[in-house]
Amino acid sequence: MNWKVLATEASTSTRSKSMAGRRVAHRLIAMFCVASLGLAMAVAPVAGSASAAAKKTNITYWFWGEGDIPGITKWMQQRIVTYQTLNPGVSITLVPQSDSTIIPSFALAAQNKSGPDIDTQWATLPVLLPALQGGVTPISKYVKSSETSKWLNTSENEYKGALYAMPLYVIGVPLVWNKKLFKQAGLDPNKAPTTWGEFLADCAALKAHGITPLGMGNKDGDFGAWMFAIYEKQALNSISQLTEGVANKGNDQAKLLASLTKMYTMFQGLMSKGYINSNVASLDFAQGWQLFPQGKAAMSFTTDGNALAWAKTIGQANIGVGEPPIWGTGTLAKTYDATQSSSEFITSWSPNKKADAKFLAWLHTPSNMVALNKETGAFPADSRFPKSNITNSLAKTLDGFDTAGTSIWLENFIPPSIDTSADRPAGQLITSGGTAASAVALWKQQLQLWQSQQPTQFNQFKTWAGASS
Amino acid sequence: MGPALVALGVVFVYSFVEVAHYSLYAGSIGQLTYVGFSNYRELFIDPQFVHAMFNNFRLLFTVPIVTILSLALALVINTTFRGVRAYRAIVFVPYILPATAMGLSFSYILQGNGILDGLLKNLHLSFLIHDWLGSPSWVMFSIGSVIVWQQFGFGVVVFSAALLAVPGETIEAARIDGANWWVVQRKILIPQIHRIIEFFVILQAIIVLSSVFTYIYVLTGGGPGYSSGVMEFFIYQNGFENGSIGIASAAAVVLLALASVLIAIYLWVRTRAAKEVN
Amino acid sequence: MQHLRNTLRHLLLIFLCIISLYPVWFMLSTALKSQNNYVLNPMGLPYHPTLANFGSVLTNWPLLVWVRNSLVATVVSVLVSTIISIMAAFAIVFSRARGRETLFRVNIALMAIPSVALLIPMYMLMIKFHLINQLPSAILFYIGLLIPFSIFFLVNFFREIPIELVEAAYMDGAPHHRILRSVILPISGASTVTLVIVNAIFVWNELLVALVFLQSNSARTLMSGLTLYQGRYLSNEPLLMAAAFMSIMPLGILYVFGQRFFVRGLTAGMGK
Repeated sequence: MNWKVLATEASTSTRSKSMAGRRVAHRLIAMFCVASLGLAMAVAPVAGSASAAAKKTNITYWFWGEGDIPGITKWMQQRIVTYQTLNPGVSITLVPQSDSTIIPSFALAAQNKSGPDIDTQWATLPVLLPALQGGVTPISKYVKSSETSKWLNTSENEYKGALYAMPLYVIGVPLVWNKKLFKQAGLDPNKAPTTWGEFLADCAALKAHGITPLGMGNKDGDFGAWMFAIYEKQALNSISQLTEGVANKGNDQAKLLASLTKMYTMFQGLMSKGYINSNVASLDFAQGWQLFPQGKAAMSFTTDGNALAWAKTIGQANIGVGEPPIWGTGTLAKTYDATQSSSEFITSWSPNKKADAKFLAWLHTPSNMVALNKETGAFPADSRFPKSNITNSLAKTLDGFDTAGTSIWLENFIPPSIDTSADRPAGQLITSGGTAASAVALWKQQLQLWQSQQPTQFNQFKTWAGASS
Repeated sequence: MGPALVALGVVFVYSFVEVAHYSLYAGSIGQLTYVGFSNYRELFIDPQFVHAMFNNFRLLFTVPIVTILSLALALVINTTFRGVRAYRAIVFVPYILPATAMGLSFSYILQGNGILDGLLKNLHLSFLIHDWLGSPSWVMFSIGSVIVWQQFGFGVVVFSAALLAVPGETIEAARIDGANWWVVQRKILIPQIHRIIEFFVILQAIIVLSSVFTYIYVLTGGGPGYSSGVMEFFIYQNGFENGSIGIASAAAVVLLALASVLIAIYLWVRTRAAKEVN
Repeated sequence: MQHLRNTLRHLLLIFLCIISLYPVWFMLSTALKSQNNYVLNPMGLPYHPTLANFGSVLTNWPLLVWVRNSLVATVVSVLVSTIISIMAAFAIVFSRARGRETLFRVNIALMAIPSVALLIPMYMLMIKFHLINQLPSAILFYIGLLIPFSIFFLVNFFREIPIELVEAAYMDGAPHHRILRSVILPISGASTVTLVIVNAIFVWNELLVALVFLQSNSARTLMSGLTLYQGRYLSNEPLLMAAAFMSIMPLGILYVFGQRFFVRGLTAGMGK
C-alpha cells in the first residue's frame, strides 16, 4: 500500500469531479445571487419606509410590562398610534423587552451610550445606578412638578431631589389559590394561608392528594428573585440591613448572608418536600405560571394583572387571592409587595429629550389611564384615576392590598448586576437541588467580584445607600 | 494580498493586543482603572470561571463519541445500495441548521416533563425521566448530546467521502486474500483515512472549546445557577451583561492560550501528514 | 443473511434519520397547532393545522426586517471576504513572494481562534467609530472572521491546479490579474460555490456577534431577533416554533437545491 499513489489518485478523482461540477457551479452561483438579491429587494420597502421617516422625530422605546400586566404592550401600541396621529412629526418605535433581556440589554446599551431614547427598568436601583453613571436624564427636568405630583409611588425613583422615572401602574404580588383544588384536598377553599404554618399545612394536604401545591418557573431565575424579594425582606428590620450588607460595611455583610442562609434553607425545604412543581428549574417564569390557569398547580405567586387574567380562565369563583403568607420575623415582614415595577425614563443620549418627556407625560392623561385599567385591569399610577372605575370585586381586593400600607419590593434595592449575577443564579441553585450554603456562597463571591471589578459603581452605590438610609 | 493582511491585522492582531491590554483593568467602558495582573488571580479563584473551564473540558467527551459514531456509520454505509445518498443527505441536515433555532426546539423537547420525558413515560421507561436542562448533574450531558446530534452528520459525510477515495483494488486484493469485513475495515480502511480522522478530532475539539456559546445561551442561559457556563459564556456575561470588561478580557486571554495549544497540535499534525505524503 | 443485514442497515438508517429530523418536525408540527392544542397534546400530530401562527409572526414581529438584515450581512460579508481571499490565496500559491508559507501557517492558526476572544476589542473599536447598532459593525467583523478559512480553503484548491497551466500563461506575459481571471477563476467555480455556501451558513447562523453588536431592533439579524423574542414568547410554544421554522427555511431550500454539490465540496476542504 503506497500512500503516495493513493493520495495522487484521490486528488485526481476530486479534480475531475470538480471540473465536471463546473457548469452546475456557475448555475448555482447565479441562482444564489439572484435569489438573495431578489429577497433583499422584496423586503427593501421596509428599509425605504424607515429612511423616509428619518426627517421626523424618531423615538425608540424599549418597553417592558407584559410580564406584570398581560395586554399592556397592546395598550401601549394603541397609545402610540394615537399619539402619532395627534403629533404627525413624531414616530415612535416600540421594542418590547422580556424578563430576561430587560436588565442586560440596557446594561449593554448604557456602555456604548446608544440604544433606546426611552427605556424601562424596574424601579429604584435599576434606574438610579445607571442614572449615577450618567445614563439617565431626570424626567423632573422636563415635566413640571404640578404633573409629577399626580403620579403615584414616585419616591421609588427619587434621588437627591430629582425624579428619574415615570410610573405607569402600581402592581402587587399576591398569593393566588385554586379553590376547586383546595376543596379536592379537603381544605377550606375560602381561607387564605396567612401564617407559615398554615401555608405548609395546606401544601402538605395538597401534596397528599397528588396535587402540585405551588406552580412556578425558575429557568430564568425570576422565581428565585421573587423569593428573595418577598421572603428575604421578611427577615429584615430595615432596607439598610440589605444595602449596608451589599456595600460591605463592617460586619453587615456577614449578617446579611446569615439571614439569606435562613431564607434559602426555607426555600430549599419547599423544594425537598415536593411542594413546588418538579420541573420548576427548566420552565421559564411565564411557562411556570401557565400551570395555575391550566389547573396543574393549586397555588402561585403572581401579579395583580395575572391574577385578574386567570380569574377569567378558571372562573372568578374558583380563584382566591391573599397576601403572601408570613414567614419572617423582621419588622418588614408586615409590609406588602407592591411596586410601580416598570419605570419609564429618558436616556442621557436621547437627542429629543423634550419630545420623549412630552410623550411620556401624555400617557398619564386621564383617558389613557382609564383605558389602561379598562383594557388590562392594571391599577394606573396616577391619583387622578377615579377609583370608582374599579368595580370587579377581585380587583378591589387586590387594589386594597396594594394601597393599604407600606410596600417594598426588595429586588429593587440591589444593583441590577448583582440581581443577574448573584440573586437569580442563587435561586436557580435552590430550585435545581442545591443547598442554601451553596446559594449563599455564590452571593458572597459575586458581591466580592462586583466590588473589585466595578469600583466606580460600588462607590456610587455606597453613596446612594448612605444618602437614602 | 494587501486587503487580506489589513483585515486580518485589524480583526486579529489588533484584538490580541487590545484584549491583553484590557485584561489589566477593572470597571466598565469609560471608567476603567488599572489593576495589573490581579484579574488573572481573581479568575482562577473564581468558582464560576473554574467551573466554566471544567465544563469546556467535559464537552471534550463529545469528540470521541461523535468521531466513533460517525465513523462507524460511514463504514456501514460504505457500499452502494438503494437510498444511501438520501440517508446521508438527511443525516447531514442538523449540521447546517442554526443552533439558535434548533436550541429553541430542544429546549421544549428537553425541559422537565417535556417531550422527551413524555416519550419515555409512554415507553414505560419512567426511570430514565429527568429534568434534562434543569438538573445540574444532567445539563452538560444534555448540551453535549445536542452537540453530538448536530456534528454527527458532518462526521458521516467527511468520513464517507474519505472512504470513497480509497481505491477499490486495495480492498479487493485484501478480500481475495480471505480477509473478512471486519478485518478489511480495521486493517485497511481505517488506516487509509487516519489522517482525516485526526483532523476531524482536532476540529471537533476546537469547536467544543471555542464555539458552543449559542447552545448555552439558547438552551440554559448558563443555568441552573452557573452549572452550564462555559468560558465563552463567562466572557459574554461578565464583559457585556455585567460590564466588567477587565475580567472578561482576562478570561479571553486564557481561552486564547488554551486554543493555541490545540492549534499547535493541529499544525504539528499537518506538518507530519505533509511529510508522510512526500 | 445478506437480506437480513440489509434490512437491519435500513432500519438503523431510518432510525438515525428520524432522530436527525425530529427537532425540525417538532418545530413544524407545533407551529401548525393552536396554543390550546399544543398544551393538550404536545407530541401528537396537528389534527386541525392552522397557519395563524405564521401569520401572527409575520404581522406582529419585525421578522422581515431581521430577514433583510441577515441577508444583507450574509451577502456582503461573504462576497467581500471571498474576493479578498481569492486574491490572497492566488498570491500565496502562485506568486514568488517570500514568507508566503509562513503567512499560510499563521492563517491556519487564525482559523481556529475563538471569535469571543476578539469580541471585546472589536466592540470597543466599533463604539469608537460609532458603528454599534449598525449592520456594518457586524459585517466588518464577519469579513475578518471568514477570511482565514476562505484563504485556507482556496489555497488547498489552487494547489491542485496543474502549475503548467499558470506557467504557460506567465510565458505569454499575462499580468497577474489576467491569469487569475482567465485561467484560475473559470476552473474554480465548484470550489467557490462551496466556499460561499459554507461561509453563508456561518453568517446566517451566527449569534454571539450579532447579539452584542446589534441591539437595536431595526439592526438585529434573524438569529439575535429570535433570542430577543424567546424570553417573551417562551410560553407561547406554537408562535415561537413558527418563527424558528421560518428562520431555518432559507437554509433548507438552499440545501435541497445545492445539497449533493455542497456535501461533496465541503469535504474537499477537509484535512488538506
